[in-house]
Amino acid sequence: MNPTKRCAACKYLRRRCPKDCIFSPYFPPTDPDKFACVHRIYGAGNVSKMLQQIPVQARAEAVESLCFEAKCRVEDPVYGCVGIISLLQTQIQKTQSQIAQTQAEITIAQTQSSQFM
Amino acid sequence: MSCSGNPSSSGGGGGGGPCGACKFLRRKCVAGCIFAPYFDSEQGAAHFAAVHKVFGASNVSKLLQHVPEHKRPDAVISICFEAQARLRDPIYGCVAHIVSLQQQVVSLQTELSYVQAHLATLELPQPQPPQPQVSSSTSPPPLSISDLPTISPSVYDLSSIFEMGMSSTWTMQQQLRPSDHFFGVPSGSNMGGGGELQALAREFLQGGQVPAQPSPGTSGSASTVIKRE
Repeated sequence: MNPTKRCAACKYLRRRCPKDCIFSPYFPPTDPDKFACVHRIYGAGNVSKMLQQIPVQARAEAVESLCFEAKCRVEDPVYGCVGIISLLQTQIQKTQSQIAQTQAEITIAQTQSSQFM
Repeated sequence: MSCSGNPSSSGGGGGGGPCGACKFLRRKCVAGCIFAPYFDSEQGAAHFAAVHKVFGASNVSKLLQHVPEHKRPDAVISICFEAQARLRDPIYGCVAHIVSLQQQVVSLQTELSYVQAHLATLELPQPQPPQPQVSSSTSPPPLSISDLPTISPSVYDLSSIFEMGMSSTWTMQQQLRPSDHFFGVPSGSNMGGGGELQALAREFLQGGQVPAQPSPGTSGSASTVIKRE
């Protein structure tokens, strides 16, 4: 097996890359950091088990979501991507408040205009 | 959530028996066990099972070791949340929740633009033609994982995450109607109680308070606002 044909996972794990390697479709050798990040948070064994339990056609999306969560956890070891959830919830509450406030102003404007008519 | 955010003891291996993690791992819970403060021996084992299945005990141990001790309760809570989300949705995990919230934000911002434009027309000196209604079937553009943000805010309210009703937002196909987000003062089309409505609107604007809105799946847990140092 030509070592340069190994996927990023097998390169990282310093092993030969078999033809049916579960990682190779999703961790090309051109992006070594992707697997490094996932491995750091989840571990190769856990990722392999998770992918085996997912239909083949859904594995690409699963890998992307795992990579995203792993990257968030590396950048924010305390909150990971839960911090983003909290931020979005805050944003939702703020926007709902703004909508309610604008609705109230509309009501006042409509009331005032109906009084002057 | 029983993976406790409050350290109840400094370590396991004492008279209280093994912590939930060591119980699950079937190993001796030593004094100073890194998991003991956060996984009690009763329900902690179940939560640790999820964490172990997704992250692995050694990975979580390493993660916690790199986190300051006063931040570890929050770290454990977020790790438990992610683990349970991943088990519930093996393909998208809590990314599905993020995408759903992002779609909600986009929808609300569209709604906000609409009502602000409506307000602007009312404040103009000359009457304007009626504005086109925003179709309730308009759905926000589909989002992909590459659109997800990577912002790090400084204040997190972790309790609200668990009150969001996780089961209702796990799918990527969630379509949110703009009318779902209207609350407080109703639209001015029904002017039967104009005086009361005006009083309510003025009270709202003067107080600057958001009218109470029941949150779905409220568990009754106290709000915990964690400031990030």
